[in-house]
Order: sequence, then C-alpha cells, then structure tokens
Amino acid sequence: MAAKKLRRAQLSQEMCERLSRYQITTCQDFLCLSLLELMKVTGQSYYEVQRLLCKVSRACAPKMQTAYEMKLRKSVNPSSAFLSTTLHSLDRVLHGGVPCGSLTEITSPPGCGKTQFCIMVSVLATLPVSMGGLDGAVIYIDTESAFSAERLIEIAANRFPTYFDSDEKLLCMTRSIHLYRELTCCSVLKRIMSLEEEIISKKVKLIIIDSVASVVRKEFDTKLQGNLAERSNFLTRGASVLKYLAEEFSIPV
Amino acid sequence: MQREVGTLPLAPALRARLAAAGFQTAQELLDTGPCGLSKEIGISREEALEALQVVRQECHGDAARTAGGSGATRKCTALELLEEEQTQGFIITFCSALDNILGGGVQLTKITEICGAPGVGKTQLCMQLAVDVQIPECFGGVAGEAVFIDTEGSFMVDRVVDIAAACVQHCHLIAEAQQEEDHRKALETFSLENILSHIYYFRCRDYIELLAQVYLLPEFLSEHSKVRLVVIDGIAFPFRHDFEDLSLRTRLLNGLAQQLIIIANDHKSAVVLTNQMTTRIGQSQSTLVPALGESWGHAATIRLIFHWDNSQRLATLYKSPSQKESTIAYHITPHGFRDVQPPAVTHGTEGTEMNPRKRPRTEEEKQ
Repeated sequence: MAAKKLRRAQLSQEMCERLSRYQITTCQDFLCLSLLELMKVTGQSYYEVQRLLCKVSRACAPKMQTAYEMKLRKSVNPSSAFLSTTLHSLDRVLHGGVPCGSLTEITSPPGCGKTQFCIMVSVLATLPVSMGGLDGAVIYIDTESAFSAERLIEIAANRFPTYFDSDEKLLCMTRSIHLYRELTCCSVLKRIMSLEEEIISKKVKLIIIDSVASVVRKEFDTKLQGNLAERSNFLTRGASVLKYLAEEFSIPV
Repeated sequence: MQREVGTLPLAPALRARLAAAGFQTAQELLDTGPCGLSKEIGISREEALEALQVVRQECHGDAARTAGGSGATRKCTALELLEEEQTQGFIITFCSALDNILGGGVQLTKITEICGAPGVGKTQLCMQLAVDVQIPECFGGVAGEAVFIDTEGSFMVDRVVDIAAACVQHCHLIAEAQQEEDHRKALETFSLENILSHIYYFRCRDYIELLAQVYLLPEFLSEHSKVRLVVIDGIAFPFRHDFEDLSLRTRLLNGLAQQLIIIANDHKSAVVLTNQMTTRIGQSQSTLVPALGESWGHAATIRLIFHWDNSQRLATLYKSPSQKESTIAYHITPHGFRDVQPPAVTHGTEGTEMNPRKRPRTEEEKQ
C-alpha cells in the first residue's frame, strides 16, 4: 500500500511528472511531507494541497467495516473459524481451537513437546473438514531440523487408524505437507515474503514456523551494541508479514 | 486589510510573481481587480479571479477574528469552559476504581494514552470502551459511536460480542430495578446488532495507511457526527520497525498528535491510543518505559500505565492535568474489564433511591 505509485492515486499526469522531478513517486513519499513542503513541491495553493492530500489518502486508506459486518462474515461459516486441536480441554480454553486468521505462539522450555504439537497439528490440517480438519496443505518452516517424517506417519497412523487405513492415504497426506529448512534469519525472512504465491498455488491452510527463537538467538547476540534494534526490526517485519498472510487468507499461523 | 502578500495561502509561484511586480498588501490586490492583475503579472483572468477570491476569503476570516467573532476562534472564558466540563460526559470503563482515579471515566476532547507490556489488557480496555461509549444517556453514558483503528490485528469480534452482551444485560438489570419509561425505550435501540454496527473498524497495516486514515478522519467524523470515541490500537507498532530516519518518525508522530488533538476538540470525542513498552538500558539496570521516545510523551494529555505485580494487573495514572497519581488493581473477566473485588451485594435497598449514574452492584462469579 505504501509503495503505491501516485499515478494510480488518480492524480493528474502533469502533477505526477512534476512530483517525480523531486523524486516523489509513491504515496509514501507524498504523505511524509509537511504541508508547506507540499505547497513548494506542487506549486499549488494551500486549499488545493489539502484536496490533493485527501485524494492521495483515499487511495491508501483502508476500507471501513463495522464490527457487525465482521461478525456476520464469521458466522457465515463457523466451522472455519478454528482448527480444533482434538485436545478437549485445550480447545475449551482456546474457545474452539487454534484461531484462523491470527498468529498463535507456543512457548515452553526445551523438551516439552512443541515440535510434537506442530507435527500433530499439521496432520490435523490435512484432514477433511468433516473430521475437523482444514482439508488443505501445510507449510512447515523448520529452523532446527527437528521435523521427522517417520514420526509424522506414526502419529497419523496411530491417531486416525480408520482414516489412514491405506498407504496411499498416508502418502497423499505427506505430499501436502511442504517442508522448508531455513537456517539463517535472512532466509527465513525471504521465505516468509515469498509465501503469498505459494499459499494460493498450493492451497495452503496452515503455516507453522518451528521455531522463531532459535534462529534469532543464534544470529543476534544481544550484548553487542546495535543488535537489539536489528533483531527487533527483523522480528517485527516478519510478524507483520505473517499477520497479513494470516488475515488475508484466514488461515492459522 | 494591511495583510502582506507573502502570508496569503497562494501558490508559491504566484506569490513570487506578485512580489516581483511590487505588490505588498492584500488591499492593493483587491483594489486592482482581476483584469488589472492578470495584465500586470501575466496570468490568465481566471487564475487572477481565483487568487482574488482566496484573498477575499482570507481577509474576511481575519476581519471576523479581529471583531471577536466565533467559529474559527477558539477563544472563550474560563467560566464557559467550566460549565462545559461539568456537563460533559465521561466514558465509563465498568471498573469503578479506574473510573475513580480518572475522575469519572475517559474524558471527551482529551487524548488518553494507555501503555503496557503485551498481554496486560490494553486491547481489552479499548474494546470495552468501544462498547461503553454507546450506553444510552439515561444509564449514564454518552450515547455515541466508536471508530476503531487497528494496526496490530488484535481486534477479536467474538470478544466484543461477549463484552457487549454483558453490557446489555447490565443495563437490563438497571432498567428492571428502576422501572422508568425512558430506560425501556433506550433499551430497545441498545441491542447487540446496534452496538456492533456502530463500531467502525479500520485495519491499517503500515504507517502510511495510518497517516492516510488520520487525514481522512475529519471528513469521516463530519459524516458520522455521533462518533464520540476514536481508538487507535497500537500506535507504536507501525512506527517501530523499518524506520531508519528517526527525525522523520518524530515529525510524523508530532503531526499525527496535532491532528488528533484537533479532531478531539472539534468533534468533542475522546481519543484513546495504546502504546507499547520498550526497555531502556541504563548503566546498571534496565527499566520498562513507554515506547516512541520522550517527545511522544507530550502528545497525550492523560497517560495510564498497565503493569503486572506477580499475577495481579495494576493500572497507574501516570500523567493527568486534574487527578493525582495513583495505582489500582483491575481484573479481566469473561464479561470484560472489571474491578478486582466484587462490591458488596445490596439486594434489598435497590429501588427508586438509586442514583441513575451508578450501576447496581451485582456479584461477580469467581473464576
């Protein structure tokens, strides 16, 4: 949104050309200037500049929705609002399961079962909707190389023996879990940025990142000066992209 | 009329030409007329007419101001302000201790900032306020609508449904206890669907969308004149990453604060912002301070800091022009934002002697 070119904000052609002479080509550049600077750059009067500001803002501003519309949209298909974890007490506390459309974070000391939980949830996501799953593919970004495919099949066969009764079904399930091994912060970020197209092409319904902390702690030593800012930069950028993906596609992350 | 040409809000190129031609005051411009103007400085007659209209508008505005007219001026006596403040409503938070330290609730026409660590209850309070602003006047509310600008994506509709349902039920209890006609009439419009349809939600993903939305807010508020609350949940989030130029950030934030102050005053609404905490690393220890820097601290009139003390949530009034600094404990229940101890139950004395501004005391279930 920020990088939207001014041409598409419905400004006149000559105005865009004039602004590009001052290196103002995107909405971001335009909105970051103060009113006096805008007057100087566009050569227009005060009131004209305010009108231009409104036009550009309208091109960037988000759409309005009332809370009622949001509720109606959610109640249209209630089953798709959560991914049940099949642990009844956990589902009760979470009000239905892992929520679709937002980020859920699982933290614990080592050895408690975070990776096991992630593997189980990936199996659940591939199940058809009638069994409480999401009937879709899973993207699993693994930074600790802790994902074991054999364990995946073991969980699937033992948990849902009636469904995974043939090898074919198991293979089909494993084919829909896409595993990416990333070992540095940069590659994790690049992978997250490239996810949008993959989600659409592969019909992904769940994104798992296991784990965020390990790769961050490896690379950023907080005792060094300046690393704290870079680390939080990386984390917030990754978080905002993931939030956007979760909301846009209504999938759990 | 003696206004200098350089101070008029005309295009810079036009101003330069007028100065080169020797015009000094606005009166000279008006005396020359559009045809003479266009011949002297070499612009078309239409442009000259436009410029003269701007000048005339400005001069009339000036004259009205010097003659003591109202409207554009914001001048009034302290007595008028006192009367206004006394009749002004507050937006209650359903936590009577918090309302007390704030002096009655969240004030209209002022900017309130809520800072706190993640998970302490800032978004919960914002959602509670978005519902509470719609309480009808006969129950002690301001009967307004709410604008919710979300930058972090933490707005959960289901939670708002829970909070709104609890609020409606609360008002029903009051109405039953008091049996007044206007209560019953107000309750007809105070339903779940109405509450939800009067919360206007905007999801801003980065600071440009936030800036654009705030530029468009005055227009939106003039169309929806019943709005009495603007919540910006997470003003720190879009400004904390991807900003290499800190001076640009300070400038944008200050501009934002100015616009919010104007919006709060012109439309008589309360503005509530939530801020994150950041760690300030001192010589030997590190402390948690509100994010966005020292200069942002001047933007909000009232500052509340939420923090934890073992497992108890506390709210401290950190900055306020009229109330003293104090700390209270609060609780977040399935019904929303509440006091810690349920007040004593007074079943028998409910009746006509109850002050309509006070809620009846009902027992909360211990979780």
